[in-house]
Amino acid sequence: MIDVLTGMFVTALLAGGVLLLGALGELIAERAGVFNLGVEGLMAIGGVTGIIAVANGAPALLGMLCAMLAAAAFGCVFAASIVLLRANQTLCGLALTVSGGGLAAAVGQSYSGHPAAAVFASVHIPLLSALPFLGRAVFSQNPIIYVIWIILPLALHALLFRTRWGISLRAVGEDPAAADASGVYVLRVQFAAVVAGAALAGAAGAFLTLAYITSWSDGITGGRGWIVIALVIFGGFKPLNMVLGALLFGLITALGFVGQARDWPVPPAFLSMMPYLATIACMILPPLLARQKRSRFLAPAALGVPYFREQR
Amino acid sequence: MTDADPPCAVRLASVTKRFAGVIANDAVDLEVRAGEIHALLGENGAGKSTLMNVLTGIYQPDGGQIFIDGREVRFASAAQAIAAGIGMVHQHFKLIRAFTVAENIHLGWAETPVRVSRPQMEARTRALAEKFGLDVRPGAVVGDLSAGEQQRVEILRTLSRGARVLILDEPTAVLTPDESAVLIRNLRAYAAAGAAIIFISHKLDEVLAVADRITVLRAGRRVASLLAADCDEPELANLMVGHDVAPRGRQSQGWTPGRVVLELCGVSARNDRGLPALRNVDLAVHAGEILAIAGVAGNGQRELTEVLTGMRPASQGQVRLDGRVMRADPAAFLAGGVGHIPQDRLKNGLAPSMSIADNAVMREYRRPPLARGPVFSRVAAAALAGRIIADAHVAVPNMHAPVRNLSGGNQQRLVARREMRVASRVLIAAYPTRGLDIGAIGTMLRYVIEMRNSGIGVLLVSEDLEEVLQIADRVAVFFAGRVMGIFPTEDADGEKLGLLMGGQLA
Amino acid sequence: MAKSWASSWAVNLRNIQKFFGSFFQKRTASFLLLPAPGRWPLLISRLLSIATALIFGGIVFTLCGYDTVRLAVDVAQASFGDLFGLEDLGLIWSPLILTGLAAAVALRIGLWNIGGEGQFYAGAIAATWVGLHVQAPAGIALLLMAVAGFVAGAAWILVPALARAWLAVDEIITTLLLNFVAVLLVTYLCTGPMRDPANAVTAASAHVPYEIPPLLDDLHWGFAVSVVLVFAVALLFGRSVWGYEVRVAGANRHAAEYAGMRVRRRLMQVFLLSGGLAGLAGMLEVAGTVHRLEGGISNNFGYLGIMVAALAGASPLAVLPASFLLALLLNAGIVLQSYGVSKYAVLALTGLVLLSAAVGERLAYYRLAPKLASAR
Repeated sequence: MIDVLTGMFVTALLAGGVLLLGALGELIAERAGVFNLGVEGLMAIGGVTGIIAVANGAPALLGMLCAMLAAAAFGCVFAASIVLLRANQTLCGLALTVSGGGLAAAVGQSYSGHPAAAVFASVHIPLLSALPFLGRAVFSQNPIIYVIWIILPLALHALLFRTRWGISLRAVGEDPAAADASGVYVLRVQFAAVVAGAALAGAAGAFLTLAYITSWSDGITGGRGWIVIALVIFGGFKPLNMVLGALLFGLITALGFVGQARDWPVPPAFLSMMPYLATIACMILPPLLARQKRSRFLAPAALGVPYFREQR
Repeated sequence: MTDADPPCAVRLASVTKRFAGVIANDAVDLEVRAGEIHALLGENGAGKSTLMNVLTGIYQPDGGQIFIDGREVRFASAAQAIAAGIGMVHQHFKLIRAFTVAENIHLGWAETPVRVSRPQMEARTRALAEKFGLDVRPGAVVGDLSAGEQQRVEILRTLSRGARVLILDEPTAVLTPDESAVLIRNLRAYAAAGAAIIFISHKLDEVLAVADRITVLRAGRRVASLLAADCDEPELANLMVGHDVAPRGRQSQGWTPGRVVLELCGVSARNDRGLPALRNVDLAVHAGEILAIAGVAGNGQRELTEVLTGMRPASQGQVRLDGRVMRADPAAFLAGGVGHIPQDRLKNGLAPSMSIADNAVMREYRRPPLARGPVFSRVAAAALAGRIIADAHVAVPNMHAPVRNLSGGNQQRLVARREMRVASRVLIAAYPTRGLDIGAIGTMLRYVIEMRNSGIGVLLVSEDLEEVLQIADRVAVFFAGRVMGIFPTEDADGEKLGLLMGGQLA
Repeated sequence: MAKSWASSWAVNLRNIQKFFGSFFQKRTASFLLLPAPGRWPLLISRLLSIATALIFGGIVFTLCGYDTVRLAVDVAQASFGDLFGLEDLGLIWSPLILTGLAAAVALRIGLWNIGGEGQFYAGAIAATWVGLHVQAPAGIALLLMAVAGFVAGAAWILVPALARAWLAVDEIITTLLLNFVAVLLVTYLCTGPMRDPANAVTAASAHVPYEIPPLLDDLHWGFAVSVVLVFAVALLFGRSVWGYEVRVAGANRHAAEYAGMRVRRRLMQVFLLSGGLAGLAGMLEVAGTVHRLEGGISNNFGYLGIMVAALAGASPLAVLPASFLLALLLNAGIVLQSYGVSKYAVLALTGLVLLSAAVGERLAYYRLAPKLASAR
């Protein structure tokens, strides 16, 4: 029994890690007022870039870095369209998803199905990995797990709420006109936020193909990008909530695998549906239950609204 | 000004700014000295706010130069203007409502440390507030503050950035008379300490009381710069409008009460955030009268008009139209003969991207001949639209162009005539003259009087006391969601109304 | 018109200039942001942006060493060369018309129905089930299948619709996630309860006995039905009271409420219509083209429907040319496969077309400063 739980937790940290990386990136963009719907495409690009990089001899970490750069490049194109040219955010996001996914599939065709040449290998920490449950689940993973689950969320929390850059970023997402009048460079902040978010989405994709599933195939992102967006919304736009949400989703995914492995009476297709249905439930239940009190599920006030300085 | 004087704190030379098809500022000159309060006077649309937006770096001028202390400067952004010592308190506060006072003060401020926590920010804010003698609560969320408090936060923010030129855009529009007095006292103190203050207003009496010098703008051009001591109201009004303005006399005759058409009985209501907006309000609109609601904006007037037109439910009490108790259903109120000129025409009254014709028929689209069963007749709709457009004297070459292409005055007249057609019992007019030039204001007031004279009850919400005293039969003063007093206009005067508006029972 | 195009690029240079600070001190001419784009600039910008994207794609293709001209000729040949090609094109065009119409209907009231794919499959599932379990004359059976398809599509969008109308939950995510659920459901059904016992190789349902009669050899009457529906919907929006209310609600929800319209009710009705149309597309595909239920009968029709609606600017009539363009692109994808290029490259191209159209729509708002009238 403990073995099953341990295995579930290992999977949860990996599966959830993908979601968490993407969510933290999307959080940065949404806090700056940009609703980036292209996460799915950016994850695909990151995933395939990671695979190609390691196939050409790079170690996994370098592969992830390349993935981040590639995704950031696409993020620049997206940011230029949305922030500088003020094109419709939903359309551009969908375009990014479709073209990113298509491009990644086209480029990655020859790598499809082959295991990744290098992965984020497990590292057993000397004493701690002998512990009964946590030992295998937490302390026998690749150190990047700690970066994703502990360091990055804490750093992001500090950045958003305890630095002057965080104040500027959140201000841009709440009321760009007010931020502009206060002397914040709205366009630069939004552009940087979008590119940073894109880089993290690319990292998420690389983590998917180099640590969790350790191979590439078309459609491997499987809607995770959309779950990421939902995660940011019902996580209340706070980094620490993302951690809990990602862990929850990781566990649900792991539960699905356990069910399939142990031949539960539920057909495997339905087990695979769980993450998606759970996401929908998580989006519907909070507003449903919180109808009485106006809780703080409030998004940045200017989310999704393009900023025009000279509009009369 | 002779050459021996020190250079002006601010000098704008021949500044020009254009927008789509309109010249907002046409070669405007402005000189403001340190230590003076300089008023910028003009009607709505004269270009005052635009000019100040150019000075503060939000807009880029299309022509002309800006000199600060004699040096020419170019502001590519608001940040550069702030760094040069220019601070602006906007008419619509540029504060982040979701942030606390302390966070707003520290936003975009060069002196904010890179790593700073909430308690740190609040302590620094408290120190600043003491230094400048302004009463603010650092930990409060701005969205919860009153207009007067928010304005104090804006002023604190500008002063803490080291502003030596302080620009205030219609600052007394949201203040009670008491708060205005406090503000003016503070401004005189800052001027005495060497700041240059630019005070934008369209209120003649205020300008004469506060300013040292006055510059008048009209239609984007500067028409005069005078010493306040050298001029009087009629002269200023003349300069503002461009022709002699006859003093507006009272236009309402003796009032004989008709029957009650629309009334509120002990009505309480909540606003969008769940806070009480109306408290136990008793109000009755009679046929053939103009009942004016006076009060500083934000004291429940919006919720009042929404309850009276079915757009907001009452949490307590009853709304009665012709004696019948009504549910909160705009369609039912419309069918009952209630017309509504909304406060925010672009948000509520019009669909900006739809055609002028589509907007004109928005209140009558369900009635024959436009609608026969489920079918909507385009031909009949166009005919009706044509009639409304003609009545409103709006000259459009093409009624299928989007309504947002029209000017504000045209849009307002269109909405007004549309509502006048359906208002067979009551017309609710919320701030109908806001943002319009004098010609359009006159037209709207004429419409209101026309309705009254044909036996319709009119509820007029206005923040312009002069307007209220001029045409209303009765005046009700609103403060914090309560009716402070209702009386016939003959018995009202500016001072009494001012006290009630400020929350003090006379 | 060409002038405004050139000038709008200069305006974006100026935006980039603002972005980088005062790098460029050179003055550009003054450009104006209009409150609304003119109709002609909007159309022209859309066409030009599509062309730009296609040309860009062609350039990339050539740079990768392929013969673009030959590709274009092959696509034209395959699409228009002979009657069979035209019919095959029509078979791709037909579902795109309906999924595009579905998305456009929702867009008219300001809603994003990204769940067309899932609603398509839901309709296919329901139509197949009815087709396999009903004994009736062909006409009645097909009618029942159509109703089942419509209702299933509407049912598939019901939960997201309720969540949006009553809880203000973003419909983009909820409709989209159900796509994945639908695909999994089809997999389950085709490998389980609805599996064709006679067919041991592929996972598919049994052959549905009722087939839509052919219009031409391969092209079935479903195509005609789709086109007729386009005109019907256009009529609905333009000439009915309901359509007027939907248009106002889509343009400004507050104004619609102010005018006494029941906006929530219209939201639900539009949602259900949108889902139903996509479900109907699934039924037509099963009953007309594939004749059984299996995974992959939707060639991304649902997702491409969004593109069609975006390119058509939410106008029902414009869905016809927009869906035709995307059908051509899909055809190009098939031809590309014979070149050894992944068919996904075409998806990348369609994404680029959408991006280009979104950007181009924005540029239509800019115009060179005309002769100015002085204020008032």
